[in-house]
Amino acid sequence: MTETALREGGEEPAVGARWQRAAARGKVRGTTKYVADLPVPPCAQVAVYRSTRPHARILAVDVTQAAALPGVQAVVTGQDLFALLGERLLTGPAFADQPALAYDRVRYVGEPVAAVLARDLATARAAVDLIAVEYEDLEPVYDVETALKGEFFVHDVLRPSSVFGDLSHLRGKRDTNVCYEYNLRTGDVDAVPTDGVTTVSGEFWSPPVAHVPIELPCTTAWVEDDRLEILTTTQTPSYVRQAVADLLDLPLNKVRVRTSVLGGSFGSKMYDRLEPLAAALAWSQQTAVRLVATREEAFLLTTRHGAGVTSSMSADADGNIVAATADVAYDTGAFADVGPRITAKSGMVAAGPYRVENAWIRSRCIYTNKPSAGPFRGFGVPQVTWSHESLVDELARELGEDPAEFRRRHLLREGDEAPMGTVMHSADFVGCLDAVTDEIGWTTPYEKGEGRWRRGRGVAVGMKAVLTPTIANAVIQLNQDGSATLMISTVDMGQGSDTIMPQIVAEVLHLDEGSVRVVAADTDTTPYDTITAGSRSTYHTGNAVRAAAEKMRDKLVDLAAQRLGVAASDCKVTSGGVMSTTAQETVSISDLMHGHFGARGTTLTAEANFTTSWQPYDHETGRSRQVTEHWFAGAVAVEILVDTMTGRVKVEQLAVAGDVGRAINPTLVEQQLTGAAIMGIGHALFDELVFDQGQIVNGTLLDYQLPSVRDVPAKLTAHVIESAHRTGPFGAKGVGETGILAIAPAIANAVRDAVGVRITRLPLSPERVLEAMTEAGVS
Amino acid sequence: MRMLNLTVNGRVHDVPVDDNELLLDVLRTKVGCTSVREGCGVGACGACTVLVDGRSVSSCLALAVRHDGAEIVTADGLPGDDAVVEAFVECGAMQCGYCIPGFVLMTHELLAENPQPDAEQIAAHLEGNICRCGTYPEICAAVTSAAARGARL
Ligand code: FES
Ligand code: FES
Repeated sequence: MTETALREGGEEPAVGARWQRAAARGKVRGTTKYVADLPVPPCAQVAVYRSTRPHARILAVDVTQAAALPGVQAVVTGQDLFALLGERLLTGPAFADQPALAYDRVRYVGEPVAAVLARDLATARAAVDLIAVEYEDLEPVYDVETALKGEFFVHDVLRPSSVFGDLSHLRGKRDTNVCYEYNLRTGDVDAVPTDGVTTVSGEFWSPPVAHVPIELPCTTAWVEDDRLEILTTTQTPSYVRQAVADLLDLPLNKVRVRTSVLGGSFGSKMYDRLEPLAAALAWSQQTAVRLVATREEAFLLTTRHGAGVTSSMSADADGNIVAATADVAYDTGAFADVGPRITAKSGMVAAGPYRVENAWIRSRCIYTNKPSAGPFRGFGVPQVTWSHESLVDELARELGEDPAEFRRRHLLREGDEAPMGTVMHSADFVGCLDAVTDEIGWTTPYEKGEGRWRRGRGVAVGMKAVLTPTIANAVIQLNQDGSATLMISTVDMGQGSDTIMPQIVAEVLHLDEGSVRVVAADTDTTPYDTITAGSRSTYHTGNAVRAAAEKMRDKLVDLAAQRLGVAASDCKVTSGGVMSTTAQETVSISDLMHGHFGARGTTLTAEANFTTSWQPYDHETGRSRQVTEHWFAGAVAVEILVDTMTGRVKVEQLAVAGDVGRAINPTLVEQQLTGAAIMGIGHALFDELVFDQGQIVNGTLLDYQLPSVRDVPAKLTAHVIESAHRTGPFGAKGVGETGILAIAPAIANAVRDAVGVRITRLPLSPERVLEAMTEAGVS
Repeated sequence: MRMLNLTVNGRVHDVPVDDNELLLDVLRTKVGCTSVREGCGVGACGACTVLVDGRSVSSCLALAVRHDGAEIVTADGLPGDDAVVEAFVECGAMQCGYCIPGFVLMTHELLAENPQPDAEQIAAHLEGNICRCGTYPEICAAVTSAAARGARL
């Protein structure tokens, strides 16, 4: 880690400093207000009737009894909304395939069909129990194997939405459950000579898992004159505003979307969750409505894609990786959500962060009759990392090489072209790998043990592209007293944007810790921002914030030059204000602004936009010279114990590294890395949504296991690698997902090391480990 | 409906409640303690933790009427210079922050019973609380730091 040098005058720089997290005390005492804690008008409480069938035509919905229950204000069915809104009722980021309420057909157990508005939740729930729906069952598609047979279809026709222009060629496609396919063809895997070539292959599986941020989704919507106001737990306020405006056919300025800090999200609170339904109910009934998902309902709102990868990796006689193949299948459930993007973004890195000349990858997004899968920390990449990091490990072992050293030889380096055709910059895989292997003492010998507990070590590397193209905006309001207000639509969900964005402003304007406050996202006041997701905010919004701060700096310099009668080039902003060398004078911001405007409490504003572009990948080859704005690089090393009696895996030590370009706040970066690692341990060892006939069977927190304090390794360290990005704000990039990419394969590779078995299905539950050992004849 | 008498953070409240109302909802909507939060509704996450007569209770499982006359402490009612709060703030023991008030109260309960807990005792006491952000290392450090300060309610 680099320590930042003091600035001239002994001033502490803001960028690189370990500022305390914004609202730290409020979060600890619980006085910070989350969405559900904020005041709203008196509301009808809403309960939702959900489908009991995985796939069925809706023949009739009888709401008579429900509507007659005292205290019920209205019962609204999908048919009612369809009559009002037509096909606008169908929303979704990639495909317009999700109805706020099902109107003709249900596609998963738990899909909303009708909503009850009542004076209190108990009444609303009691009324839901009185709704009777008549179904005609259709053939269900429970898994991707059935889906790919193409006998029964979850949707009759593909309906790309208007959000992503590059999907429009799929419009109107029929008789398929594959809503998107990405192909990578680089070199020619079939032309690779087989002489002396070693090939390893496997069928890898990552199950669907649930996000489970502890804060439950909550949306309140109401009508104010001729406008719709929404207060909601979303990480995509700008998207929600557009989606709701489209749904209700309103101009954007008649929809206001507000949020607050979120109690975690990890990808679960984005795009279309409770908002379209809340908006449709509030608008159609011209009343205020409040929807709060129970934990059980939250399990139905979105999941992480279960994914199968059939893959191989080959090395020639000299130990060079000559070919990689991967056939990836993402189970996206009943709605595409952003699955098509996940499919492409993950497919393109499925060969791993290695120099591989020949690669064949097919990555498909497949509809089934299950709850919809969407973005989850890592955006589909952990599922392909599970494959390539298991394969490369096995390949090294086959060749008799050290798995870390083998990777080190083949890892992409600065300036190398990755298999999908984009040149690498600021992605220090080797630095990350070195940091974690050094930390756990990779090269020092250790005893595997012969008794009940066996020790093993494992390593893995992760690679992910940032979401591109995207748009960010920032507005800074500098107040006459020298404090500043920052307006961005980035949502702080625990990643720390409310802390680091002020650090960027403070760095440029030489302000103190605590003097810059971020306004909670509010589409009436905070400017458009694509999304707070995919670890994109530090770089993208950070760049907009930096540019806005620089414009503000220029304004201050101009004001000072005018006032002091010197050239602007003679003035610079310092911690005391604007200083002129010639005039030997420093004017404080407050004096400068007071002098200029002639009043106290005045404001000066500056704004900036930051937009990234890409070269869309070729539809045939999947290649692009610039498929992404920047890369995330990470590595993980672990030392574990396997209990050969029970199959239990205990992670003793875990080191996680991420290349963040430059850490704006090292403490928050470290927390993102260790926090992701702990979540990743869950994915590796026990996290799994279990389905039976399309129905979630463990969708409560009594049944769904999450990492607790007990699952934290005795030694857990985060390593911040900084290979500055040439266009990052102060060299910085994000880090939210980096830590999670390689956790599961690192642990599986350690299990392989400890007991000699290669497990290809997650999670590595005790039963699965024991079974693999029994099969392999390991005692 | 009946009247319930609760002393919350030292202030007496008389609130009308239904027989089936949860302590969680009464505290949030009728007393205004939004530091008490629902995360699971089944007693499995600890976000709704309150101290009732000094003992931790999952308010999502507790019927309000059972607690007539109880003395309740919630995290937002802790004194301004509370040693546990200070320790959590200084150790950076929060990410999204949603779960943290529950951990703070569990820490108070632990330190009241055992002023100098070791790592195993800390883990044993906190294992029922879930922090999805994975702030456990900082939380454990904060408990140790609070113990060193001699936290007292
Ligand atoms: S909400 Fe009470 S324990 Fe989770
Ligand atoms: S800090 Fe987010 S759940 Fe604990």
